[in-house]
Amino acid sequence: MRAEDTFRFAITALLQQPRRAGLSLLGVVIGVVAVILLTALGEGARRYVAEQFLTLGTDVIVVIPGKTETIGMMPGFTGTPNDLTLDDAEALLRRIPEALRIAPISMGNETVSYQNKSRQVVVLGTTPEFFELRGIPIARGTGLPEGDIDRGANVTVLGMETARELFAEQNPVGKSVRIGEWRIRVIGVNGPRGTHLGQNLDEVSIVPVATGMRMFNRTSLFRIMIQLRPHSDIDEVKRKIEAVILDRHHEVDVTCMTPDSVVDSLSAILGTLTLVLVGIATISLGVAGIGIMNVMLVAVSERRAEIGLLKAIGATHRQVLLIFLMESLVISTAGALVGLGVGYATIHLVTWMYPAMPVVAPLWAVISVLGLSVCAGVFFGVLPARRAMRLDPIVALASKG
Amino acid sequence: MGEQTLHALEAVTETISAGEHVSIIGPSGSGKSTLLNIIGCLDKPTRGQYFFGERAVEGLDPDELAQLRLNEIGFIFQSFHLVPRLDAIANIELPMTLAGIARAERRDRAREVLESIGLGNWAGHRPAELSGGQKQRVAIARAISMQPRLMLADEPTGNLDTQSGVQILGLLEELNQKAITLVVVTHDPEVARRGDRILEMRDGEIVRRLSATEISAANPIFDRGYSGARS
Repeated sequence: MRAEDTFRFAITALLQQPRRAGLSLLGVVIGVVAVILLTALGEGARRYVAEQFLTLGTDVIVVIPGKTETIGMMPGFTGTPNDLTLDDAEALLRRIPEALRIAPISMGNETVSYQNKSRQVVVLGTTPEFFELRGIPIARGTGLPEGDIDRGANVTVLGMETARELFAEQNPVGKSVRIGEWRIRVIGVNGPRGTHLGQNLDEVSIVPVATGMRMFNRTSLFRIMIQLRPHSDIDEVKRKIEAVILDRHHEVDVTCMTPDSVVDSLSAILGTLTLVLVGIATISLGVAGIGIMNVMLVAVSERRAEIGLLKAIGATHRQVLLIFLMESLVISTAGALVGLGVGYATIHLVTWMYPAMPVVAPLWAVISVLGLSVCAGVFFGVLPARRAMRLDPIVALASKG
Repeated sequence: MGEQTLHALEAVTETISAGEHVSIIGPSGSGKSTLLNIIGCLDKPTRGQYFFGERAVEGLDPDELAQLRLNEIGFIFQSFHLVPRLDAIANIELPMTLAGIARAERRDRAREVLESIGLGNWAGHRPAELSGGQKQRVAIARAISMQPRLMLADEPTGNLDTQSGVQILGLLEELNQKAITLVVVTHDPEVARRGDRILEMRDGEIVRRLSATEISAANPIFDRGYSGARS
């Protein structure tokens, strides 16, 4: 019997009971869609995090006040660290030769208003280096003034979105806005930079770091970003930073984060999560396989007369086995393909609704889910097919049908 | 309590020559179907030997038996055994499909056979749309599609009205005249009478052998008849 004839024979048999075949196929579809979507979401989350951190550049170290012993735990929740001050930042710049740029950062939320318009924004206190470090273009006016970082001028660079909301089409440069109780002169406007690390840099107000700290009455910096010279040894620099801090604070009460280390630990967590999800989804494929087996067992007992006839007119054991295996294989393969289609359509829908979220079904997942469902079709089809194969033709011919 | 082995056939020794038309008659449980199954290589005797041509069937494995049935033997059943979801022509093609013959070729051959039994216009009809006589003709077409040497018919007219039955028997006899050996199992004396020879069975044994000449003379067995019994 030719393969295409076995296939055609299977199709006619399945079409004879379309609802039954359809329902067992649906089981496979659900399993496949579950695997594809869950891995796509897991992989999407991993890529999102990785992308966000890697756009920082791999040559950036972020120093955060507070010590953490456990990777993955955000610092700041453990103990009460010493303040991380502007003096610390200056000491780091002075004593670490690999440091190309240092951007101390303070942060707070405040209302920015101009005439009768106001909005709540994130106020970032920092230095001109920050613009270079984060790649923020200046669209109008100038960036933050260079000079003594302890002396905070009452000036701000507005994010383009903030500027547009407050000033509409007017040029904000030279105008004064109110930030909380402070009267601040606008000296520039950011070009577009978009959301980065969960912060929309188009919707901020950037002020000199000392101004920011005064404004929010802070004694400690939010963090210090250090960009290294090319070809620096990141681990070596980390050790040097810790030495400087130990010298100044008498303990190492900061955490040094590199994009690599964050991405690595988050990837590991998300990777494990993805595998767990795949495991769960695989169980649903197993259930679908049992559904196929059930349907095929019913088919074999209903078609005993046909099996008897096939054997009487000269079908070999192998041919009978293949005829029934082909049917379960067709169900599982068709289910896998439909599932693949539905899965990808859903991914497109999600991407369309949430463009920022990269939802990508990893190729390994797609290939393995296809392989797995085809295998499930064969695996769960063997028992019914063997039962058909072993039917005694004389007994089978005597059945009604 | 001991187990009792029942032998469906006992001490049957018979030779059927090529081109013969043999009828097997007997009441139900007489072993005529078992004998037919052995002749058709669907069953093997637990003891004794069966030769199909030169070949000792007991030495053949299941695949060789299947091959033998496919190429040498055509089966016709009382309940037709057409595959309900396949149309007439696809049913006729079935043995050729198993044999791995390409689609175009088997379609041509099936159409030819269908024409020869006078159902040329019914190729696309499913069994449910055919009358009993038409179904049996399709079954005969299927049985001869591989050009077998031996044709076995188990109560071929059992589910048919008299007129269709006569047509089917006519068709079978036509095939017999084209040198196909024909063995018909029946409990109907009228059907049996058309054979060259009649084997009468009872309790697993052949109790009487009648030749054509003996049949034509009025014979008491036919007066008794088996029409009440079903195999």
